[in-house]
Amino acid sequence: MILLHRLKPAFWDLPDTAGSHSGLNLKRKWKLIVLVTAILSLSPLVIMTLVDFNLTRRTIETETNTGMLTSLNTIAAVMSASLAEKPPGTGAKTLWDTAFSHLNTGRNNDLFLMDNTGRLLTPSFYYETSGSRTILDPGLFTGSDGIVHIQASDGTPLLAGYARITGTPLMLVQLRQADWLRDLWFKPRLKLLWFLCASIGFILLSIMGMATFLVGRIHTSERQRIEALHHEEHANRLASIGRLASGVAHEINNPLDIINQKTGLIIDLLTLGKQDQPDQRLLPLAEDVLETVKRCGTITRQLLDFARHMEPSVEPVDMEEVISQVLALLETDARQRNITIQVPPVPEIPGFACDRSSLIQIFLNLAENAITAMEKNGILTIGVFNEKTGLVTITVSDTGKGISPEDLPKIFEPFYTSRTDRWGAGLGLAITYGLIREMGGDIRVKSTVGKGTSFTLTLPVKAPRPAAADGTLHLPGSEMTVPANPVDDDTWGDRYAKP
Amino acid sequence: MSEKVLLVDDEKDFLDIMSERMQARGMTVKTADSADKALAMLENESFDAIVMDFKMPGMDGIQALKNIKNQKPELQIILLTGYATVEKTVEAMKIGATDLLEKPADLEALAARIKQAKAEKMLLVEKQTEEKIKDILQRFGG
Repeated sequence: MILLHRLKPAFWDLPDTAGSHSGLNLKRKWKLIVLVTAILSLSPLVIMTLVDFNLTRRTIETETNTGMLTSLNTIAAVMSASLAEKPPGTGAKTLWDTAFSHLNTGRNNDLFLMDNTGRLLTPSFYYETSGSRTILDPGLFTGSDGIVHIQASDGTPLLAGYARITGTPLMLVQLRQADWLRDLWFKPRLKLLWFLCASIGFILLSIMGMATFLVGRIHTSERQRIEALHHEEHANRLASIGRLASGVAHEINNPLDIINQKTGLIIDLLTLGKQDQPDQRLLPLAEDVLETVKRCGTITRQLLDFARHMEPSVEPVDMEEVISQVLALLETDARQRNITIQVPPVPEIPGFACDRSSLIQIFLNLAENAITAMEKNGILTIGVFNEKTGLVTITVSDTGKGISPEDLPKIFEPFYTSRTDRWGAGLGLAITYGLIREMGGDIRVKSTVGKGTSFTLTLPVKAPRPAAADGTLHLPGSEMTVPANPVDDDTWGDRYAKP
Repeated sequence: MSEKVLLVDDEKDFLDIMSERMQARGMTVKTADSADKALAMLENESFDAIVMDFKMPGMDGIQALKNIKNQKPELQIILLTGYATVEKTVEAMKIGATDLLEKPADLEALAARIKQAKAEKMLLVEKQTEEKIKDILQRFGG
């Protein structure tokens, strides 16, 4: 069972629903390939074997029959000559009697003399010598010689060869079991038959192996195609969310500003002292409104950051300089939280070019997330590696609270946030994800709750052509491993495996 | 001496409240609800600063900025925008905007910028006057 399980192709147990393999019925395909190839390759073999079988049988039959007839005729001629010399009645009969009794050796060689009334003159294996009783119908034997199929009295099918002895009413008859001939040619053929069966088995096995390999390849490429489609779908979804977000943010910003100014006016009126006895609660309430407007402003700005999709300008970038710029922005926050920032020596990356502001934003988003995750005390490490040719690997790891396995697949989705305070709109990682994809890169995350999170970015040294500015995201090839929609495919789970 | 500000925005509500609030802070405020009107007003009047929305129907902020700068290069223009991108800011600064503030704008910050703009304008005007005087002196003295 275990062996069978191991031999079973990966696609065998897949449900053939339209969604999972877009209607590809792999099992059926496999069966069809095996059936057609088996028929095509085995039918000539089988047909040729059958023809050969028949041909051999006929040849052997004819040859044996001719041989039997020839010897019968020879004996008949000899007897005829001898009888003509010495007519029957005296010693001759006894001589033939003796000769025939010696000849009657068994079931496959029953030779006897018979007269034209059907009376046996010499003993027979199949027919007893019973005087004048006609046992064999002489009408069966027509002509001077021949071979006919008859049945013995016990029902055994027999082959009878006969030759008339010229000058006498006598007939020389030889009986053989009908299947004696079959034994003669069938037994050696049986060995060949075994060989044939073995080769058919081998052919079938190799056909099945080949079909499994081919369908397995179809299965793999189809899965890759579906993965690519998932990426595309996800990217398109992000793009449309982006367009929507941009529209909403622009439309909301103007009324927000009016709320802001009107509330400001209320506060002005209250504080600039034109009112004699204002309600004590009015001022804090108005300030709350202002604070809330500010919050809305932050969210719309983040939405616009997310939706922002300009022609990125690819230029040579000094990674070390970018990191130092980012660190300058983070320094104060990190110092206040007692967070150490470690940056191992950045290797020289010859020819590294990308959209500089995107890179800064990616670093800022990841580092800010890391600092938020650590709250107080911890180590933020930013590492840059140039080990693989054509690729730059960047790691941003923290010693913060980590992300639970259930949340991991959702972190790149817009509006997902772990922050309980009111400032996080949950767009930071979605923006980062979009930017990295635009740069033709890839981001992976590993996290252990309580120990920390580590983001690993892979960026091409030479950035791809700038993405289109019409809102569609740049789509790298299907080798991309960032899951597009991790929720609806089981295989994604592995990528988010805990370290 | 109070700052004289021209406020340009297509949103009437916004204009009214902003001007009231700015006046409450001791500024002299005139309003225009389109860039064309603002340009017409600039013909006859002088302002310390212009606060203008970036996105307006008709002539937009960038175009208005170009026209005003052509007309009166010493004028200080503060642009308000719903969303400031680096590119937008750089473009505005290149044409000669004094500053670019994001909406919803904080009035205190805006007031501070206006004060600063006025000082800059005074400096600019002083310089111009100085140069003019120098020019005149050179022409007549030399």
